[in-house]
Amino acid sequence: MAGDKRNKRQKREDYRAALQEEASTELPRKKFYRQRAHANPFSDHHLAYPPSPDHMDWSSLYPDYVAEESQEGEAPPVKASSVADGQEIESAAQKLIKRLTQDVEVADIGCGFGGLLIALAPAMPQTLVLGLEIRVSVTQFVEDRIKALRAQSQEQKLYRNIAVLRANTMKFMPNFFRKGQLSKIFICFPDPHFKTRKHKQRIVSTTLNSEYAYVVRPGGIVYTITDVPDLHGWMVQHFDAHSSFERVSEEEQEADPCVAIMRSETEEGKKVERNSGQKHVALFRRLEDPPFDDEPDKMEQ
Amino acid sequence: MAVPYHVLKVCGDVVFAARGSNIYSFNLSLEHLSTWNYPAKADGKPCGSSSVPQAASPAAEVPPSKRRRLEAGQGEGTGAGADIGEASNGNATAEPEVLEVGNRRRKKDKSACKEPNNTPLEKPFVQGLHATTDGRHLVAVTGSDKTIWVFEHDGAGKLIQLSQRMMPKRPCSIVITPDNQTILSADKFGDVYSLPLIPSPFTEEQKQQTSKEDNEIKSADNASKDATPEPSRSATLSTAAAAAAQFKPQANEFTVHTKRNRMALENQKLALELKLAEKSRAAADAAFEHTLLLGHVSMLTAVLVATAPSTGRKYIITADRDEHIRVSRGTPSQAHIIEGFCLGHEDFVSKLCIPTGQPELLISGGGDDDLFLWDWAAGKLVSKANVLQHAQLIESETKKIAIGRLFTCQQKSNGRAWVFVICERIPALFCFQLQDTTLQHIQTIRTARNPLDVDVVKQAAEAAASSSSSSGSLAVLDWAEQDDVMAEQQPVHEGSGLWVKSNATPNGPAVEEDINVSPQELQKILYPTESLRKTAVDFEE
Repeated sequence: MAGDKRNKRQKREDYRAALQEEASTELPRKKFYRQRAHANPFSDHHLAYPPSPDHMDWSSLYPDYVAEESQEGEAPPVKASSVADGQEIESAAQKLIKRLTQDVEVADIGCGFGGLLIALAPAMPQTLVLGLEIRVSVTQFVEDRIKALRAQSQEQKLYRNIAVLRANTMKFMPNFFRKGQLSKIFICFPDPHFKTRKHKQRIVSTTLNSEYAYVVRPGGIVYTITDVPDLHGWMVQHFDAHSSFERVSEEEQEADPCVAIMRSETEEGKKVERNSGQKHVALFRRLEDPPFDDEPDKMEQ
Repeated sequence: MAVPYHVLKVCGDVVFAARGSNIYSFNLSLEHLSTWNYPAKADGKPCGSSSVPQAASPAAEVPPSKRRRLEAGQGEGTGAGADIGEASNGNATAEPEVLEVGNRRRKKDKSACKEPNNTPLEKPFVQGLHATTDGRHLVAVTGSDKTIWVFEHDGAGKLIQLSQRMMPKRPCSIVITPDNQTILSADKFGDVYSLPLIPSPFTEEQKQQTSKEDNEIKSADNASKDATPEPSRSATLSTAAAAAAQFKPQANEFTVHTKRNRMALENQKLALELKLAEKSRAAADAAFEHTLLLGHVSMLTAVLVATAPSTGRKYIITADRDEHIRVSRGTPSQAHIIEGFCLGHEDFVSKLCIPTGQPELLISGGGDDDLFLWDWAAGKLVSKANVLQHAQLIESETKKIAIGRLFTCQQKSNGRAWVFVICERIPALFCFQLQDTTLQHIQTIRTARNPLDVDVVKQAAEAAASSSSSSGSLAVLDWAEQDDVMAEQQPVHEGSGLWVKSNATPNGPAVEEDINVSPQELQKILYPTESLRKTAVDFEE
């Protein structure tokens, strides 16, 4: 067994090294990237994430969208001028971060092997789409896949608007995205966490929905799809219970082109298709925040 | 093992200090007034009100599936063994020892009982003391039993226990709202609950509901039937959860593909009945009103209630172990709306405070080298103040600091806010003054031993507000083998009117009982902050 394992690891390493060297246009093969389907969102892992969205350097992910030098002067957001030394150093460091011409607007949370990302790239060519995945080798696979796809389409310059990041979105979403930055979030075939005591690990919960509401702008949409009916019920329940979201009507849902892509193009969607399983879709629209609920006695005074 | 006083709260003319599980009160010259003793246990459960017989029950009835499997691995006839254990435990504790086998099993049962709450402490330590602004109530939090205690304070140091509420998860930080009506409790699981300071009498129906909710771990399931539709759906966030209390297997034939998983599904169905029985039993527990306001997916470390000076609006500020400081709306019906984050910490955040007199600012500290000063409403970093360099002057070896206490008070003469910082295991008190938008280090006061807590003792004269030089003293709790606490007076800063008192041994009662705690255990309880730091771990998960 042990020998087998080492052998397998060795093969993986060789394969990936070869892929690196060639910078090939050949698509990576999944079998060298398989990983256990579950990750504990509560553990610390070994994650890299920016302290705040201002510290995030997107330039390596979307090299084609890096802003020109000339724009850089105005790019950094206005900072308070009278600040302590520490702050000045910090903003100096932030200036080194290359800004993009536009922000990421669509996030695929738990993008897995990246099927949806790749299908979305041509469907919304003007938008930056980011896949987020917690598993290391799966993220690596998507990265290699995007690299290969970009190399394949040197002339047409396709797939320049998609990228993947390793991240634990349950904890660190606000580190990547500003308030209201996203217009769409996809949550496709999330880990169902069947056991009751693991329900807190589910990617949708009423308390966590507050963070989705934070990063999605009013009018933005959260897409969910799953093959587990009870998880579907759970997600609907929890989004319904959250007053920042409303369920999108059936007709509108079916008219949305992203829904068709989500149904057919996600890797998990294809697998469910093969097993002739069910697919449950639910869309939720982010509502405007209600006016601040001032305390009545305060108002009277 | 001698235990020092480790938590301090000044309440008017009375100083409350907690040592171990007990709370002692002193007058301003540190003469002992009164003591509240943690109720003695009657066969493993805290006596008193309707608290939960936690310690007695776990593992006995329905052991979590994982444990059961582990026992199976050990080779005894498991299924039967578990059953017998269950039966014997259920019947009575005083069952005579009959068979050798039965006896052995029972022993095992007992050891299993102890394992899950692996605190060898008989009594949990007090982890926090909070007083209402009017000083009429004191709220204490004890650690391992997850309990919030509310006392009535008669103004002379005597405490009368009003309520004892066991939270679903261990509270890490609590705050009392300025109107003295509500306690907000931030727990280890990342959730913030609000509960009334004085619990109102509870109807039977409500009891049913909340206890079920508890079992569901705040799942906030639908059941909006009983919540009125009017006051926004977020109400269901909390008081709902009733309907889906029954467990049903969530997988079906379409989602389960392997043989083993199918067997697991069968087992789940079998376990259903057992679980239902357990639930109805647990429904009797923890019946009190508590509302889930918001949650992080991370251990919370601090919670505050803040009011924006410009609008008078209230906000809840929460900090977690994953470097976040979150600002949410402060009214219960809108607490789910996140207004912003204060991001910039690169290590855990352990303490928050709002400087007295400048409510638009927020000071945060934790595992980073600096204190951060925020314009919290805008989520903007205003400035930073290095603490590590001052700590290194005390202990040159220091590489990392963990801020264990942040305390603020206002200097009456010029209205400036002072901020006092305690770093874990550093024998000094760091004094900063807030000057406009920077925290200026003014002074470091060396203490004989590691300070554990700090509070300000106000002089009676101050209330008259006659002169500008009204003064207060800081009381510092020292970690010591013995129980001496506060030192002779030492000026904090020329003209500030603040003095540090220490080394004045309070004429406290002699330690009437030895607290059974190992030195390592005690270290862990007295210095809990450093353990929040992440260690570089598992590369390839």
